[in-house]
Amino acid sequence: MVRDAIAQDLPPRLQERQRRFAGNQSEPGDTMEWTRILAGRGWTVPHWPVEYGGCGWSPMQLFVFQDELIRAGAPDSCWGGTHMCGPVIYTFGSEEQKAKFLPAIRNGDYFWAQGFSEPGNGSDLANLRTAAVRNGDVYVVNGQKIWTSCAWASEWGFFLVRTDPTVKPQRGISFLLIDLKSPGITIRRIPQINGEAELCEVFLDNVEVPVGNLVGEEGQGWTYAKFLLDHERTTSSFIYFNKAAVELAKAVAASRTLDGVTLDRHPRFQGRIAQLEAEVTALEWSVLRVLANEHFQYPEAAAASVLKIVGSRLQQALSELHVDLMGAESLRLYPAEVAERPIRSSLWSEESEYLTSRALILRAATIYGGSLQIQKNIIAKIAFDL
Amino acid sequence: MDFNYSDLQRMLLDSAERFIAEHFTLERRRHLRDSGSGLDDTAWNTFAELGWLALAIPDEFGGLGGSPADVSVLAAALGSKCVSQPFVTTAVQGVHFLANAEVPRTELLEQIAGGTARLALVHTEPGERYANAEKRQTQLKPDGQDFRLTGQKFFAPDAALATHFVVSAELPGEGFALVLVEAGADGIDSVNYPLIDGSRASDIAFNGTAVSLDAILAKGPDAAALLVDAQDKAMTARLAQAVGSMEEILRICSSYLKERKQFGQQIGKFQALQHIMADMFVATHQSRSALYQALANSDKDRAARSKALALAGITIGEASQLVSRQGIQLHGGYGVTDEYEISHHYRYLLTLEKIAGDIDHHIRRASGT
Ligand SMILES: Cc1cc2nc3c(=O)[nH]c(=O)nc-3n(C[C@H](O)[C@H](O)[C@H](O)COP(=O)(O)OP(=O)(O)OC[C@H]3O[C@@H](n4cnc5c(N)ncnc54)[C@H](O)[C@@H]3O)c2cc1C
Repeated sequence: MVRDAIAQDLPPRLQERQRRFAGNQSEPGDTMEWTRILAGRGWTVPHWPVEYGGCGWSPMQLFVFQDELIRAGAPDSCWGGTHMCGPVIYTFGSEEQKAKFLPAIRNGDYFWAQGFSEPGNGSDLANLRTAAVRNGDVYVVNGQKIWTSCAWASEWGFFLVRTDPTVKPQRGISFLLIDLKSPGITIRRIPQINGEAELCEVFLDNVEVPVGNLVGEEGQGWTYAKFLLDHERTTSSFIYFNKAAVELAKAVAASRTLDGVTLDRHPRFQGRIAQLEAEVTALEWSVLRVLANEHFQYPEAAAASVLKIVGSRLQQALSELHVDLMGAESLRLYPAEVAERPIRSSLWSEESEYLTSRALILRAATIYGGSLQIQKNIIAKIAFDL
Repeated sequence: MDFNYSDLQRMLLDSAERFIAEHFTLERRRHLRDSGSGLDDTAWNTFAELGWLALAIPDEFGGLGGSPADVSVLAAALGSKCVSQPFVTTAVQGVHFLANAEVPRTELLEQIAGGTARLALVHTEPGERYANAEKRQTQLKPDGQDFRLTGQKFFAPDAALATHFVVSAELPGEGFALVLVEAGADGIDSVNYPLIDGSRASDIAFNGTAVSLDAILAKGPDAAALLVDAQDKAMTARLAQAVGSMEEILRICSSYLKERKQFGQQIGKFQALQHIMADMFVATHQSRSALYQALANSDKDRAARSKALALAGITIGEASQLVSRQGIQLHGGYGVTDEYEISHHYRYLLTLEKIAGDIDHHIRRASGT
């Protein structure tokens, strides 16, 4: 049912762009176009409470739905809106904020950027310095954010800012919604290792933000940020992507020959594919255990770190395998944007246009969202009190 | 065994390190990658003036007669700044073809030394994965005294910047042959494109290109041997480039660990990162040893040399992956931008590993399969 509906709704053009995309997330324009289409079925935020537009599906149903979207080759949703600030807004936000922002997120009216990291504060986020000083009805914000994915294409951002420099770092942070078209905001796109420039620097120079855009209470921003990161424990496994990447590896191997034999019959490649498939399969079951609310002997956050560690490592290992399967063919540099690529000659495979680019940016998978080292520190600390 | 540098090598290294560090800034390399042909004319002239393009040319042809060990000193210096100019294809591989042809090409060797000629090997055909001197689809068809060259070639590194091609083809009655073709000759259709390290490669179609009898560099088993020897020389130089790049990564990362602060301290104080740095050091150290092993065997018979090179290729390929991946990891978000050196080393090392025989290829070569 769901599968048929997706197949019916997904425009072939979007599906093709998604298949050939060069980054680690879909182009914002494609995401928004698809969100507006899905909104027609009321399926953009199925995981939200029903009163805010959710579908009331069980965790397993949600899992299957996500899996189907990826299998169909649909663009990603705007995660920042649907999975990050949306839940924060309906849990902690004011009635005005709910009325203004939740329908807009549901309907794909604007793209959201996450303004947390700063040049001097990445892993050590709690020490962030961008300051918001209250002045009548507005906060005046000054500072700089970095790694703000897709800020250049976003209408709004949810930011962590320091409203009180005198208290313990975590206590002085607030959660602000900022219109990125506000005067005083300058956005610079950062050229990346894979030729894209989705990452941005956001400079805030005396930006006035209405106090009505403060979510919840002043000084509680850190708690909300933790809520937001905990809220979707299983997404960092990238399980759907990892499953798709295994299938892709098999296809790439089967379409190339060496000494007259396809690569999927060469023992070394055959072995690598089987090993990665084994790990992805185990990861899927690790995800299912979390979804089923299994009672863990260890704190739940330790299991979430397992998903992040394995999920990010597998994304890298699978993309490394894709590159290895292509051999020298992996070295050609293509424009990141699909529409700018030269017309493909029959000498080149379609996947050579994007698999290397993806592998390059996936080096970031063990860096963003809590680096590999930070995840290991967390496990050592919370699981074993070390 | 003497692992210290000779006087010639010291001199090379001094001039190389100075010029390369001053000239090949990150900005310049990014500019070269994004615009024009990819060739750095100024640098190429300097390469000629400093004698680098004559280094591997034997004395009897007016060169410096440098050994593979001498070449590797220079190659490592080039690797330290991710230089992707066509040095290896022209001044190492190309020189070997010309100096060891049935009739050595002295005039062209002089032009190479002077910086006016560049050579690229045009060998791989569509669908091939690291081809040896196997039967070619590309044909040399007799045409009176001379020949016509017809066939499709795929992925020829540095061909876009070359003045001359060494093309492999099937010669009726002789089998495998190597011929010298001017890049500007009639009947050549090239599609040029950039690679991720900023260099250029080409797919080239020959549509009845006229080739004279004396353009044949070698034929039959001699041609096959010439191809293998030239490719092995190129591979040795590329291994040295990789070692130079990794050694530079150690320098870049260790200073970053001292500069960058998180949680109120240098991130280099975190033992997790100290151990990563130590792993990178171990792999890089082993890589230089592997390079020396390959160099020590470079004048042995073909089988011994080939085995030695394949083993070095495995060690250095795996080390390149570890060192470049961890190098990015240590940099956090800065590691995946185009504005920091480390991501350029990543792409450079990936290119060196894959361009003419990857780890899998060397494993099969070393195990004789
Ligand atoms: C592709 C990408 C997209 C991103 N998107 C966003 C976004 O949309 N919004 C946003 O706010 N941020 C985003 N980020 C930022 C990301 O969350 C940070 O890069 C991350 O938190 C790491 O911070 P850093 O880059 O400053 O690295 P650093 O914190 O400086 O880390 C450098 C190195 O030190 C290690 N390290 C740090 N502390 C410790 C420790 N205590 N023990 C051991 N090792 C340690 C790290 O693991 C890493 O190897 C993105 C990053 C990337 C790469």
